[in-house]
Amino acid sequence: MLSQNERERYSRQILLFGEEGQERLKNATIFIAGAGGLGSPVSIYLAVAGVGRIILVDKDAVERTNLNRQILHYDRDIGRKKTASAEEKLRAINPDITVEVLDTTIDETNVHELVGNADGIVDAMDNFPTRYLLNRVALKMGIPLFHGAIRGLYGQATTVLPGKTACLRCVFPHPPPKEVFPVVGVTPGFIGMVQATEVVKYLVGTGELLANRLLLWDGERAVVEEIALERDPSCEVCGGKNQHGDAP
Amino acid sequence: MKVTLRFFARFGELLGKNRVVDAPENTSLADIVRDAASQNGEGYGSIFDEQGKFRDYVILMRNGKRVSAAAAERTALSEGDEVAVFPPVAGG
Repeated sequence: MLSQNERERYSRQILLFGEEGQERLKNATIFIAGAGGLGSPVSIYLAVAGVGRIILVDKDAVERTNLNRQILHYDRDIGRKKTASAEEKLRAINPDITVEVLDTTIDETNVHELVGNADGIVDAMDNFPTRYLLNRVALKMGIPLFHGAIRGLYGQATTVLPGKTACLRCVFPHPPPKEVFPVVGVTPGFIGMVQATEVVKYLVGTGELLANRLLLWDGERAVVEEIALERDPSCEVCGGKNQHGDAP
Repeated sequence: MKVTLRFFARFGELLGKNRVVDAPENTSLADIVRDAASQNGEGYGSIFDEQGKFRDYVILMRNGKRVSAAAAERTALSEGDEVAVFPPVAGG
């Protein structure tokens, strides 16, 4: 049940989703991997939308070079753990939700415990090895992975639905080379909004997801393109099979 | 035959975003990309390795369908085909 405060806070989106939709958001847990360029806008917008429980993981401390894009963190937070900075801001933005922060590195040994019983995983990482790990956990748990990545004025996003769509490894069998990537904050802002929109639609159960579709944002030309995806029958992670082990 | 080539993101910055190329019938997808990319050393090097093979992270599409690097060598293109070449990005 929504409280009177909640009915008021979310009144404009209850017009869209109804109280039932709002309750679905309230009862959901979303795991956000990373409190950086993507994790900042994603977590802020999921918090204001009323996602009931947000788990945010990051291992880093705030650096001055983060501040052009990581809008959860302010100048005064330099040197502070990103998790502490994020927790403070998200709680201030919406005291009606639960925010849990985990100051750790996501790896093979802890990823299942960290994700817990989340309803979905937001990929706000900056590297493919951890993304592949999140992909495997999402497949195993049968929960969606909301992928996003950026570089410069370009970005990409897709939603992996285990058993239904191409997995992250089907789409990107090999990671691009590591680099210190150029970026202006508006790009993770844009892609983060695509991811957060996907999460809200998925939880409420409305609209059409980026399922088997890769959205490509070209900020240089202000063009959004889309590429159709399909499962790779030889994918080393999902083998192009659904949860029951059947070929699609 | 006329084929449209589309280079995305970093590839587009180095090689130009879109171009229509005139190539002999049955030219392979790989050869058309190789030929177009060879006009810019850095652009070529971002897509192909020292042996002239596609770098393993490069994504190739023909008319919106994914083509593997190996298949691209033997995929003969047809008039009006559209080829997209793009690099996944990894930042967050």
